[in-house]
Amino acid sequence: MSLLTMILKMGEGLGKTCAIFFLTLLFSLPLGMVVALLRMSKNKVISAITRFFINILRGTPLMLQLLAVTYGPYYLFGISVSRNKLIPVVIAFAINYAAYFAEIYRGGIESIPTGQYEAAEVLGYSRFQTFMRIILPQVVKRIMPSITNEVVTLVKDTSLAFTVSYQEMFTIGKQIANSQTSFLPFVVAGVFYYIFNLIVDRVMGRVEKRLNYYK
Amino acid sequence: MSENNTKASRESCPILEIKGLQKSFNDLAVLRDISLSVEPGNVVSIIGPSGSGKSTLLRCAAFLETAEKGDILYDGKYALRDGVYAEKAELNRFRTLFGMVFQNFNLFPHYSVMKNICEPPILRGEIKAEVEERALGLLKKMGLEGRENAYPYQLSGGQQQRVAIARALALNPEILFFDEPTSALDPELTGEVLKVIRQLADDHMTMVVVTHEMAFARAISNRVIFMDGGYIIEEGDPEEVFGNPKKERTKRFLSNYNQ
Ligand SMILES: Nc1ncnc2c1ncn2[C@@H]1O[C@H](COP(=O)(O)OP(=O)(O)O)[C@@H](O)[C@H]1O
Ligand SMILES: [Mg+2]
Repeated sequence: MSLLTMILKMGEGLGKTCAIFFLTLLFSLPLGMVVALLRMSKNKVISAITRFFINILRGTPLMLQLLAVTYGPYYLFGISVSRNKLIPVVIAFAINYAAYFAEIYRGGIESIPTGQYEAAEVLGYSRFQTFMRIILPQVVKRIMPSITNEVVTLVKDTSLAFTVSYQEMFTIGKQIANSQTSFLPFVVAGVFYYIFNLIVDRVMGRVEKRLNYYK
Repeated sequence: MSENNTKASRESCPILEIKGLQKSFNDLAVLRDISLSVEPGNVVSIIGPSGSGKSTLLRCAAFLETAEKGDILYDGKYALRDGVYAEKAELNRFRTLFGMVFQNFNLFPHYSVMKNICEPPILRGEIKAEVEERALGLLKKMGLEGRENAYPYQLSGGQQQRVAIARALALNPEILFFDEPTSALDPELTGEVLKVIRQLADDHMTMVVVTHEMAFARAISNRVIFMDGGYIIEEGDPEEVFGNPKKERTKRFLSNYNQ
């Protein structure tokens, strides 16, 4: 197999790689905020339970979580494995990343001085207005570097979908490597991820710059 | 209710009245039995050593701390009665009556000067154009003409505090609380902030000012309150309290400042 056909074949999987990537961000970024708010709940039971789940999600391999979400329903309840593996893959990724984002959000929210809340309260902002207008924008700016880190990691983590044989770029590359007994597909995959992350870096850099209008 | 009626109550009752206020943090009693009243157009200064409960008193008056006992009345109406707070909607209405200027300014760093000042009244439903006009007038009064598009980090501490004062004034409060408004400033910047507060006093703005600037307190106040250990030790005319303090503790405190 020529290098070009190899690249083209693996390129076909890039759409699915991108699907995992964007869908994971789409769901995990907001879900992470919900989890962070539960984690910071004044209700001790809610916050303890949330913390427990965050610890499990961060303390066990994403690969295991992928397997559990994809095949767990079959082994536990006899529900047949869904034909479109994108669904369990995105569910597993979104939940896992939400746990990481939640901790980043929490750190950001807790780093905002209480004086900001107090000023807003005296000025008549409702609690919701205070969060949306005063706190959240400052949090976003503060956590941007950490978010960028996670997004870069996510690009590389999409390759874990091979464990459930979801036909994204890396899975295809691995299959070619096996059938051709060649290492070349892995080099191609490496280059793909590298380029992907160059783009991510550019985009996130631009976002961070746009938030630099204040200190 | 007729206009006469409200006017009469204005004249007869203080804007803020606090009676027998008590507040503790866990086991630490910070306010033990505080009573004070602030008449319209008056400036009341609160002095006292650090840790004596001055900030806590202002924060209780601004509902930033929850008091355990006592009364807080605005315009003769109970916000806190025998340690029980009025309903939330009621408290929000009381909140429109006072403004607060913090030691650390607490400006919103992601907002321009103009947005810092204008957003609160706009959120309260006022017309944007009117609010902006008022804000420009206030900035002029604060000596900050032309800085409306600056961000807080681009301003000196003294300028930031003056923006914070303008922000509080933009809501047209009946009474303004200052918690050591110049304590976070470099000495050379305190003057410009004290000047605008003095100007407000000349305009008969009702104010309660916690400060360590004794000469300033003496000059602008109608009444001075000396607090220590959660009690009001002495209060009265500034010339009396500063010039001829009656209590030993007041004398000792003031002598530390006159060295
Ligand atoms: N949130 C808090 N939790 C516990 N203790 C507090 C808190 N706020 C203030 N205190 C304590 O209450 C006392 C009075 O504080 P404060 O009102 O700030 O005094 P002042 O403003 O006169 O310096 C101090 O001993 C302070 O440590
Ligand atoms: Mg204080």
